[in-house]
Amino acid sequence: MTVGATVGILFTPTVWKALDDVSIWTQNWPWIPRLKYGENKAVATVSKMCESGCAVKVRTVAGEAFGTMGNTENPISGGGVCPLCANGVQVKNSPNRIKSPMLKGEAVTWDKAKEIVAEKLAAAGSKVAVISGDQTGTINEVFSALLASKGSDAFYAMPCDMQSACKAWNGLMGGSGQVGYDMKGADVVLLAGADALESWGPTVANMKAFADNEGGKFIFAGPFQTKTASVTSKWVPVPAEGMAAFTLGICYYVLQAGKSVPAADFDQFKAMVMSGYTPAKVEAATGVKADAMAEVAKQLLTAKSPVVVPGGSVGAHAAAFALNLLLGGGMKVLPEFAKAVGSAMSRAEMMKNDILQGVNADLLFVYEANPAYVLADQVKAGFTVAFDCVNTETTAAADLVLPIPHSYERVDDLASPYGLPQATYTMGAPVCKASLDVMNAGDFVLGLADLGFESFQEVIDAKVSAIGADADSLVEGNAFVLDETPDVSGVTLAASVLGKAASPVKGTGAVAVAPYTLLNVGTANQATTPNAPCTISNNQLVGDKLVVMMNGTTAKKLGVSVGSKVKLSGGSGECQALVQLFEGVMDGVVAAPLGMGHTTGDEFSKGKGDNVYKILTVSSEAATGASTWAGSTVNVAKI
Amino acid sequence: MQVKEFKIKWGMVIDIDKCTGCGACMIGCQVENNIAPMTKKDPYNYVQALTKDRDDPSNKLRTLTWMNIYELSNGQPYPNHETAYLPRPCMQCGSPACVPVCPVVATDKNEEGGIVSQIYPRCIGCRYCMAACPYHARYFNWWDPLWPEGMDKGLSTAVSPRPRGVVEKCNFCHSRYLDAKDKARQEGSDPMNLPDGAYVTACTDICPTKAIHFGDLNNPEHKVYELSRSKHAFRLLEKLGLHPQVYYMSEREWVRKQGDNYNAGGGAHH
Ligand code: SF4
Ligand code: SF4
Repeated sequence: MTVGATVGILFTPTVWKALDDVSIWTQNWPWIPRLKYGENKAVATVSKMCESGCAVKVRTVAGEAFGTMGNTENPISGGGVCPLCANGVQVKNSPNRIKSPMLKGEAVTWDKAKEIVAEKLAAAGSKVAVISGDQTGTINEVFSALLASKGSDAFYAMPCDMQSACKAWNGLMGGSGQVGYDMKGADVVLLAGADALESWGPTVANMKAFADNEGGKFIFAGPFQTKTASVTSKWVPVPAEGMAAFTLGICYYVLQAGKSVPAADFDQFKAMVMSGYTPAKVEAATGVKADAMAEVAKQLLTAKSPVVVPGGSVGAHAAAFALNLLLGGGMKVLPEFAKAVGSAMSRAEMMKNDILQGVNADLLFVYEANPAYVLADQVKAGFTVAFDCVNTETTAAADLVLPIPHSYERVDDLASPYGLPQATYTMGAPVCKASLDVMNAGDFVLGLADLGFESFQEVIDAKVSAIGADADSLVEGNAFVLDETPDVSGVTLAASVLGKAASPVKGTGAVAVAPYTLLNVGTANQATTPNAPCTISNNQLVGDKLVVMMNGTTAKKLGVSVGSKVKLSGGSGECQALVQLFEGVMDGVVAAPLGMGHTTGDEFSKGKGDNVYKILTVSSEAATGASTWAGSTVNVAKI
Repeated sequence: MQVKEFKIKWGMVIDIDKCTGCGACMIGCQVENNIAPMTKKDPYNYVQALTKDRDDPSNKLRTLTWMNIYELSNGQPYPNHETAYLPRPCMQCGSPACVPVCPVVATDKNEEGGIVSQIYPRCIGCRYCMAACPYHARYFNWWDPLWPEGMDKGLSTAVSPRPRGVVEKCNFCHSRYLDAKDKARQEGSDPMNLPDGAYVTACTDICPTKAIHFGDLNNPEHKVYELSRSKHAFRLLEKLGLHPQVYYMSEREWVRKQGDNYNAGGGAHH
């Protein structure tokens, strides 16, 4: 058709009028869902999409949940939600939900499931283990009490910074309670490896603290300019394995300025830092310029209330805690809430076992965790029982799969997500009825052994009264905050181990790998949600291909460029990826997104990209003996 | 076309220095506006074995992202590199490029508040408006919206799902405006003088850093009035003269500079 004809039609109204009518009549198809109207409400509850958990409000119409919004009154949300919770209802309604108990792929009744587990439990003796993907729920008390009743202490958390913090603070340094950070009140916040505004700790609370912090300065240190670093005033490039040394390098200047703490090993700590971690030595070991450390130290020293938030290895955490103690700023120590179940473990006890060193049990319970995806080699069990609401690699490999309600359909709670500056308790009641044949994991476990409770609801009730909170206020979505500080007088600076642990150790591959997490891609336990694929940038995924980022200098060295297809090999596996150039990555480092390459699940995550966990190397940190992924390297081959 | 002025001018001021690019607003927008997740299979197509699959969920050219996040770069090599994120809803232009090209008046700017409307039943899918919009704010339904089994039970009442063949875009969550006006009427207050915060969009609500500010740009009692007039505020492609009702702000000069050419290659990519 010529241009003239097109313009002619354009100016003739009849054609368009006819098309208008046609378009209306061709838009009423029976398969386009019709809306159901009714009363609109927003009901407070908790969400357990990330390890930390969040306080949210679920939006309902005529009683049916359709969306998630923040909870302004609760400090864990402060009003916003992260991309995971934003899609919470869609996950709840997803066809990927597990519809009934499954024994080796066959549907079974709950009675049958209970009979089997009871039998396995009796036969296993003390060779029972639990892996929990929940860091904050009282459900962990029920599981750990079950272990205690069997004479086992094999409780495992998925690898996380909360665990590193616990091992450093409660283990190496002899502290009690839980460390927290006042990011809202601090005037200088050094995020030493903690990707706090994207994926670390209670992300939404951190983001809110960042937003509310008037005039405070945020500095991000890490191998890669994460989304957190896009809004901080400064990015200090520091390799992951060098984070502890970098932090001690800052301690050097702080000690030089005359700061001290009344810790028993202060002199030893000072001597260790002043001789072993001089700026020149740290620069030589990590590549971070002495000037950069001096500048950060100056900012921290001139601040009224500075705080250092660590991420990474146990050593990096201990170094940051020591620095915080020297600075005397916004690091807080939170008391632990009283237990509901007497024989349960404390949080520090739950964090003790190192899952990366391997799990071996006759009977293994996995609760809302996906170890088969993250730690394919480390976990072995005679019989695995997986509790989850959606199908994952772990449920696919488990002998028995027990479907639990989605967090919007169940009673659940959140006790002090790690990172918050105050001990905070939040409770969640079901927003909507479960539509599938599910059972709360707590109810199932309480039916297996006599732990003093008939139902999980009773456990939660006991928790609420043990901590002295008001149940009515909790149901409305308010948090209960405990404003106490445990005694920290006996804390040491872990001088004897830190000197060795902080020394950077790196693999022998061609480049270091900086793994990172984005909540819109998912977490170790939660795969990409239904509406999230279109939010994932070309820096992580192009079509079905994983994308890794490196700077121009690194690419040149490796002989690759934008769009090159590469194979990364490291750890016990390999990944295929496309190369993207991004100048926010350190020289000699490749930034690779975690959370993709699922082999089970729905089309929103399955077969998308590759699983970067496969190429990480587990190493044992000197002196602390704790496992870490820091220092992982890979070889890169063009394909 | 002349700039259409209204007594009330709903607008946004997005603080780029607060946006981490997390994507919560993009998901919140899809949920609020019943945008179905992209799925390959069509459960209603009984002859799918003979036909082609629909698009893959990660085909970003075919998904509907009324709110989209762009990544900005200062273009410097390591270690001086800086990055920023720019959320892009519809700009609700004062002088929209899309409105005059629509042959059936399916899109217009004629309502108090200045929101550029999109009347789906009228849209014939010619996509002239998409070609006209320099902000790529408009999207075409290449497929019918089909929720995977069971997922269509939890839909928002904000807007009916649009069928294949229709263009759609951000309308500042228009049903929330209607709700806010209704509420004001019920409470006996003036629906034409809503207090700050009485009407906000879903993305404004959900943003964890509160990077998105929303209100009446003409009302000195609304925070956006002040913010849009700050020395750090700017609009995208101002030189085109479309007078967007969406403002951005950043203390970083390089970010402000890119406001006028963010789309011209170089730094930015999604
Ligand atoms: S929700 Fe807020 S911080 Fe996240 S991408 Fe959107 S505007 Fe940015
Ligand atoms: S941004 Fe695009 S769609 Fe929105 S009013 Fe302007 S021209 Fe029209």
